[in-house]
Amino acid sequence: MEAPQYVAARVQQALAEDGRTHELGIRVDIRGDQLFLRGQVSGPEQRERLGQVAHEAAPELHVHNEINVVEATEPGEDEHLD
Amino acid sequence: MSTLTDLRIAAVGDIHLGEDVRGQYRKKLAGIEERADVFMVAGDLTRHGTLEEGKLVADELRGLPIPVVAVLGNHDYHSDMEREIADELREAGVIVLDDDGVVIQCGERKLGVVGGKGFGGGFAGKCASEFGEREIKNFVSHTRSIAESWKVALKEIVADERVVLSHYSPIKETLEGEPHEIYPFLGSYLLAEAVDTAGADLILHGHAHKGSEKGMTPGGIRVRNVALPVLGRAYAVYCLTCAEAPPADWHQH
Repeated sequence: MEAPQYVAARVQQALAEDGRTHELGIRVDIRGDQLFLRGQVSGPEQRERLGQVAHEAAPELHVHNEINVVEATEPGEDEHLD
Repeated sequence: MSTLTDLRIAAVGDIHLGEDVRGQYRKKLAGIEERADVFMVAGDLTRHGTLEEGKLVADELRGLPIPVVAVLGNHDYHSDMEREIADELREAGVIVLDDDGVVIQCGERKLGVVGGKGFGGGFAGKCASEFGEREIKNFVSHTRSIAESWKVALKEIVADERVVLSHYSPIKETLEGEPHEIYPFLGSYLLAEAVDTAGADLILHGHAHKGSEKGMTPGGIRVRNVALPVLGRAYAVYCLTCAEAPPADWHQH
């Protein structure tokens, strides 16, 4: 059986290199037959695509997609540099 | 007596726009002219660096009421269409820096902006050097030649204030939150060294989504990581307080 570290590395590489996602900053953890995705993306569709690519890269594992969608809020307070 | 005026710089990086979010970021820029004199975008405008995404970003930034200055990021290079993307942005009125500089007139003041994508290599004491295999030498010399271009551009530019706009980070402090193991892929101290040598008032960068907003070069120049996930807001606004030159007939007593 392949060591979980190598599976996680392969999934992370797929998320970065797959043309549907190209997402570099996603953390992939594997515990037993459970795979966890964590990180931040800019939209819900990208989150779904990441879950799909992870599933395809490791179809034997159950994917928990815990990625957060970051909504850019209104600009806040100015910073004065003096 | 001297009077103080603020030069207001709106900045963001890593907006990573795609078809599914078309028009959404533009909405967040409404009223930016009330808040800032210039808008700077620190690379990674696209996700995959395709020409289609480049056109979408150009549409999103087109016709803003204040000058827009941008550099590209590593994502914008992924499809080998970086020149075409830069052309699309320029056609939409965006000033795209590629290891060179521009002077923007902001009211009475001249703002000099120098920059480009930047590159990696790591930070002093824990970095790659131009030694060994050709591939490693190429990696380091790429960063070195970028840093040299910035230094020359900063020295040549004639402006009241100077800002450096980069995608990669010049310092470690603004990477805090990222795994240490990937620091060499997130920036290089050579960029900071060049800017410290030539002088500047502020350095803006993106790239490190899990990093921290605020830091400083060894020479004391303020650095801000403006990656959208770091800011958590549409853009940040930094005000450079400029002491105006006193009138010619003014004498200190």
